[in-house]
Amino acid sequence: MINLITPSEIWLLSPLIVLFLTSLIPLTIKVMRGNEEQPAMATLAQALAGILVAGFLIVYQWDNLKGLVFQRALVFDGLSSIFNLVTLIVTAVCLLYAYENTSIHRRQFSEMVFLVLNSVVGMFILTWANDLIVTFIGLELMSLALYVLVGMGHEQVRSKEASFKYFILGSFGSAIFLYGVALIYGASGTTMLSVLDGQAAQLVQTDRVFLLGIVFLMVGLLFKVSIFPFHAWAPDVYQGAPTPITALMATAVKMVMFAVLIRVTAIQGLLATPQFNQALQWLAVMTMFIGNLSALRQIQMKRMLAYSSIAHSGYVIVGLIAMSSSGSGVSSAAGIAFYLFIYSIMNLGAFGVLHLFERDENQIVLMDDFRGLAQRKPLLALAMTVFLLGLTGFPPTAGFFSKLYLFTSAVGEELYWLVVWAVLNSVISAYYYLRPIVLMYMQPADALTPMPLGQRLFTRGIILVSALLILILGIASQPLVEIVRRSVGSLFNI
Amino acid sequence: MLSWASFSCEGFMLLSLLILFPIVCALIVWALPSEKIVRPFSLVAGIAHFCISLQLFGKFNSASAGLQLAEQISWIPSFGISYFLAIDGISFWLVIMTTFLFPFLVLSAWSSIEKQVRAFHINLFLLQAAMLGTFFAMDAILFYLFFEASLIPMYFIVGIWGGTRRLYATVKFVLYTMAGSILMLVAILTLMLMGESQLGAITAELPKLYQLKIPFIGGEFFNPQTLMFFAFSIAFAIKVPMFPFHTWLPDAHVEAPTPGSVVLAAVMLKMGTYGFLRFVLPLFPQAVMYWSWLFLFLGVLGIVYGALVAMVQPDIKKLVAYSSVSHMGYVMIGIFCLNLTGATGALYQMLNHGISTGALFILVGMIYERTHSREIEKYGGLASVMPLYTIMFFIVLLSSIAVPGTNGFIGEFLILLGTFTSSKIYGAIAVLGVIFGACYMLWMFKKVFFGPKSKMVEEHHLSDLSLREALTLAPFIILIFWMGLFPNCFLDYSKASLDHLLKNQGQYKLTIDNQSVKEASK
Repeated sequence: MINLITPSEIWLLSPLIVLFLTSLIPLTIKVMRGNEEQPAMATLAQALAGILVAGFLIVYQWDNLKGLVFQRALVFDGLSSIFNLVTLIVTAVCLLYAYENTSIHRRQFSEMVFLVLNSVVGMFILTWANDLIVTFIGLELMSLALYVLVGMGHEQVRSKEASFKYFILGSFGSAIFLYGVALIYGASGTTMLSVLDGQAAQLVQTDRVFLLGIVFLMVGLLFKVSIFPFHAWAPDVYQGAPTPITALMATAVKMVMFAVLIRVTAIQGLLATPQFNQALQWLAVMTMFIGNLSALRQIQMKRMLAYSSIAHSGYVIVGLIAMSSSGSGVSSAAGIAFYLFIYSIMNLGAFGVLHLFERDENQIVLMDDFRGLAQRKPLLALAMTVFLLGLTGFPPTAGFFSKLYLFTSAVGEELYWLVVWAVLNSVISAYYYLRPIVLMYMQPADALTPMPLGQRLFTRGIILVSALLILILGIASQPLVEIVRRSVGSLFNI
Repeated sequence: MLSWASFSCEGFMLLSLLILFPIVCALIVWALPSEKIVRPFSLVAGIAHFCISLQLFGKFNSASAGLQLAEQISWIPSFGISYFLAIDGISFWLVIMTTFLFPFLVLSAWSSIEKQVRAFHINLFLLQAAMLGTFFAMDAILFYLFFEASLIPMYFIVGIWGGTRRLYATVKFVLYTMAGSILMLVAILTLMLMGESQLGAITAELPKLYQLKIPFIGGEFFNPQTLMFFAFSIAFAIKVPMFPFHTWLPDAHVEAPTPGSVVLAAVMLKMGTYGFLRFVLPLFPQAVMYWSWLFLFLGVLGIVYGALVAMVQPDIKKLVAYSSVSHMGYVMIGIFCLNLTGATGALYQMLNHGISTGALFILVGMIYERTHSREIEKYGGLASVMPLYTIMFFIVLLSSIAVPGTNGFIGEFLILLGTFTSSKIYGAIAVLGVIFGACYMLWMFKKVFFGPKSKMVEEHHLSDLSLREALTLAPFIILIFWMGLFPNCFLDYSKASLDHLLKNQGQYKLTIDNQSVKEASK
């Protein structure tokens, strides 16, 4: 018998529907006005209103989620809700940055809002997907929008180059992912994660085709979170993309992809074989080292943050390994989620500070531009210091606690050496994170040092709020830890 | 919420107040309308802070070895982390010394810090809070938090107000210290999870962690207790700094501004030795017994090496810095000879070193402000120009080379006595250090203060100590003799705790004294 889609299922999808409809509004208005932009403020207001409604719906539905719906193609649980909610917040922040950014300003803002919101629709599908084919649809929806967004820096050659690179490599990644899904289907007869849960442990041991499928699947996913050796695209793309989009990619995209990885890792016995585990450990260690050692040599802020973001992916993989080797995995998964949220706040703040230095779209913000900032803009310098110390993992910032929770779960699985490599890497990272602080506080500005822009009130506000959040969550992280733990815990009781 | 409410009814939280006070002062300094009143305000605040800390004398029961004035609030229950402060005989004097020194830091900054006065004092206050937190924390994670957080203000103090090579020095200081302590973090996490399997709940409370039975195999390196022992020991050895990990110290000391050098030598180095007494000795008893030879060896090596290197230094400040390496070597062997005499001496030597080296750095800073040179070669005949300065310098120097009657003697004597009882050879070599110490200090003193007046001394019209400078030094001089002549006034407070620590190796327990318990329920 064919199951019809019930109204309650449609109701569950409502945040996605709201976002999609919202994304159409500015574009439709632009078409109606004869290809003329409405005031950017109006576009922004429409987008934010849509995000607000979607966010409200997610919170409203939180307590009565149905689990597997749409013939088990989608799963609605705490994990998807919390990731979607944070994604929405991050998106709102990035749109506010974009509103104040020169590269998009008053030219194609409606198109940009359309693409960003559709990318978020893709992200929602990704966190909900229980069927690997649906995962692929979400992946493509998100990525296609991003390919264009990366190339939206108008006069910048680098932006076009980045877009093209990301498109080519991303397509490869997606293709490999799809190939993996096909192989998995061939070996097991299903693409449902919840069905694989029962079979994977045995299939991994016996079926080579299945194993190959998993490897391809993982390659496709690890590509998106820029794990070594699939990391090479990240610095160029991060650098070329307009800064608000870079911020979106370094935070929301990364978070959502890790949410998918959490779902895949939660399948019993899938990644727990010693070979797979070892391979992942090597990848994690290599990623951390490549990211951190490359970041040491950067003189451009954006590239430095890009390489450091590669390194951070490596840390998160440590959490994934802990999750795959543990019995329940709740605390590891919660550790990963918490880490990603805190990391996103710090990164958004750091990109916001960077954003204040961008006078026009062709400007490349150098580390040297931070020279003497403490004298000129003490509060901004202080906020940047908080972000950088947090990214290093210094107490008493929330960055310390996010690392603490992540590594506690890994130590709990007796992954001592992995943790030792990870913490030694954070010492390496201290070197390059401290460099802007040295420049800000300990070296004077000269006549050529650019001043950060005076306006951009939204950006300033966001920077302030993020810095405060990082400090407050450093002192009182328990409430957030509890929420994350409860939401992520639902992943394991379906 | 409820726990906070019930907690605040318990009344006076002295230890929290001591940590909070400097933080509030930092905020006030930030908000002060004029930069001119920053210095007087900081001085008054520092003295007030010291007066508050004197309350400890009234509340501290020196006969008890338990934890006193304990405050405990569950902080992050899902990881067993609590805000747990307490004090005992081991930390008591270190706390008093920390608060005692603060006014002198402000006084020595009076003329040596000229730019960004406000920011400097904010950093100084925050550093003070972090250091006190390190000595109070009875929760491993809380301890780590303060231990690491103290790096940040120091990083700025050296990096902004330091000498010409300040950037190199400050980055080296932070990376070196961080590299050491980060392995300690892994060990702390391991201990916490061991607590989960052995005690039933994940916990970072030190008194509970003391109860853990950590597997140990003698003669092998890769067993939990030995690995964790080294993870902690390296973190603290870098901080102390013990001989091969000392290379950051001369750089940091030479480049730091005078108040920075003083606080670094007097308090921050003690965080390392304190860590050995608080964590390493009670947590890893078997590993400590097994590996004590290594630390005695490195300690003795540090004593002799530091002294020999100090002899050839052309720069006064560098000489004092290397003498620190030598002096801290004494503290290390005092701790690792594992008997009460040695440990008492070590604790006393920590205070002595804080007083005498702190005073030496202040003295060097005073002359540097006048001539802008620290090269020993350029000096000569200072005694005839600055007689009061010379007398003060000589007294402090006597304390530093441990002449009987000064505080240095008591500490070094007890340490050497303790070392002789456990190992004659190390004791004998350590005595050499005393002689070397006298050599380089007196040689430097002779060069700088006696002989004909050098060209530089002639050129600068050097004035003797001003009233402010004399007042800065006077308490140090008084303490040098007080601690040298009546050591029991001081030792009585720490005797019970040290006794308890060394008599119960392997079954060390710390209980919270009942009369002062203020525990909040969850």
